[in-house]
Amino acid sequence: MTEAFTWRAGGCHCGAVRFEAALPEVVEAQSCNCSMCAKVGFVHVITPESRFRLLQGGEALTTYVFNTGTAKHLFCSACGVKSFYRPRSNPDGWSVNARCLDDAESLDIRIEAFDGRNWEANAAALAHLSRDEPEVQS
Amino acid sequence: MIFQGACHCGAIKVSFQTDLAADDIQVRQCQCDFCRRRGGKTVSDPDGRLEVRCPSGAVNHYRFGTGSADFLLCNTCGSFIGATMDIDGELFGVLNVVGADIAPLANRPGQPMDYSAESLADRAGRRRRVWTPTTLVEA
Repeated sequence: MTEAFTWRAGGCHCGAVRFEAALPEVVEAQSCNCSMCAKVGFVHVITPESRFRLLQGGEALTTYVFNTGTAKHLFCSACGVKSFYRPRSNPDGWSVNARCLDDAESLDIRIEAFDGRNWEANAAALAHLSRDEPEVQS
Repeated sequence: MIFQGACHCGAIKVSFQTDLAADDIQVRQCQCDFCRRRGGKTVSDPDGRLEVRCPSGAVNHYRFGTGSADFLLCNTCGSFIGATMDIDGELFGVLNVVGADIAPLANRPGQPMDYSAESLADRAGRRRRVWTPTTLVEA
């Protein structure tokens, strides 16, 4: 069975950074309790590389790294909002912030808790989310 | 009681002094499009003190909407620490307990707040009554 995806736009607060992600009807999201995500209020929607497009604002992004340096935390240098980033759990894909999707209230986003404080024990459960199947036509 | 916190990278440090017990402090969740993106939860006490300290140049003073408040963002890690407003030469502020990682307050459910219908004068008046006298040291 082929799952249908729809391109949904989103972005930071000031409008400098805009992106699109192809999302299924029911959007699976994770609320992580690690030191970074909890502080930023990031709600993860993990997508493969092929289902994410940066539309504008790449030059406005500041990169923040810590700990292993694998994750690239990207936030808008003007308004500070982290609308997407390269996650350590899925370095082959992207994690979009559900809070930054346009009209997020109208989407069927189902948020589950993710125990990022015990990242090593739990991260493997997210790996499939950035795999590129099924293919999406753009 | 003194609650202490910091942004993720530690550049901005905050100290919130209040005589209120943790359970008596109102935790607010503003519904504006900035605060919703940030998942912010704010606290204040007009009889308390808020101190924000950071090296010079560490804070981005972000303004939007009416431009009446400065939203304090860390230039290094992006954390949203709080907001301040200069009212008649005095600085008042709110602390984002999520961004500053003050767990006893951040883990409490926030009360949704909608200020969108407020006039600018009403907004300043509310902040004068509700927000915390604040010291911001950037040096």
